[in-house]
Amino acid sequence: MMFQEGPADTLNYMIAGYAVILGTIGLYIVNIILRFRSLRQDEALLDEIEAGQA
Amino acid sequence: MERTPKALKVLTWLTSAVFIVALYLVLIWAPQEAIMGDVQRVFYFHVAAGWVGALAFLVTAIVGGIYLARGEQRWDRIAVASVEIGVVFTFINIVTGSIWARPIWNTWWTWDPRLVTATIMLLIYIAYIMLRQGIEDPDRRARFGAVYGIVGFISVPITFASIRIFRTIHPVVVGSSDPTALGAFDMNAEMRVAFFFSLFTFTLIYITLLWYRLRLQQQKEKIEERKLTALSS
Repeated sequence: MMFQEGPADTLNYMIAGYAVILGTIGLYIVNIILRFRSLRQDEALLDEIEAGQA
Repeated sequence: MERTPKALKVLTWLTSAVFIVALYLVLIWAPQEAIMGDVQRVFYFHVAAGWVGALAFLVTAIVGGIYLARGEQRWDRIAVASVEIGVVFTFINIVTGSIWARPIWNTWWTWDPRLVTATIMLLIYIAYIMLRQGIEDPDRRARFGAVYGIVGFISVPITFASIRIFRTIHPVVVGSSDPTALGAFDMNAEMRVAFFFSLFTFTLIYITLLWYRLRLQQQKEKIEERKLTALSS
């Protein structure tokens, strides 16, 4: 890059970087939503069991 | 299950709006760097992700200390939630650094002090999550987590200082920069605005995620308690 005339063409690397950032944060949010959903299912099952015992 | 508090809903919308503004600032508003080109734009969120990692591990160490002093489980909940978020953002920091390094250093990875210390820090906190899962007793698990969180935090200032005290090719953008560093650049006014706004945005993201993750942890503990009661009756 020492004798280049203009900025280097590094657009693809920028796109890859932002894909990683947005993808990882997005995956983590989806993971939290799925864990909430799984807890809600567990809660519904416990409600059913407790209603059956009463 | 408890409904999402109104304040958390407002915070979520605010964080989303601020994130969109931050994307505009770093991708469109900030000028293209004269030598590196567009890949330099990765720097804004790369540093912000590293900042969130450090902040999350600092919070873990602080609440760990409070847990050891008071013995209340709520501090342990904050610690485990914070570590998880810290690991996600430190991962982003390392991977985006590697992507930036490919065109600038001509390699995806080099055994530079900053890269090594950051990776060790990430591994320390991944181990925190894994080791916790192996401890059944909640009090023992929380005590272990608190001590580990405090001792593990030593890796954070070492990672931060590594580019200032060791011979390295990693640029120091904030503070004095070594002229031999590859990829160093001076920020102009617009770049500085985009940079500090990114730090602010990622701090908001951290607070929002921490709040959701804490609620998840509370719900999980309630369900586990109910499961134990159902099994014993």
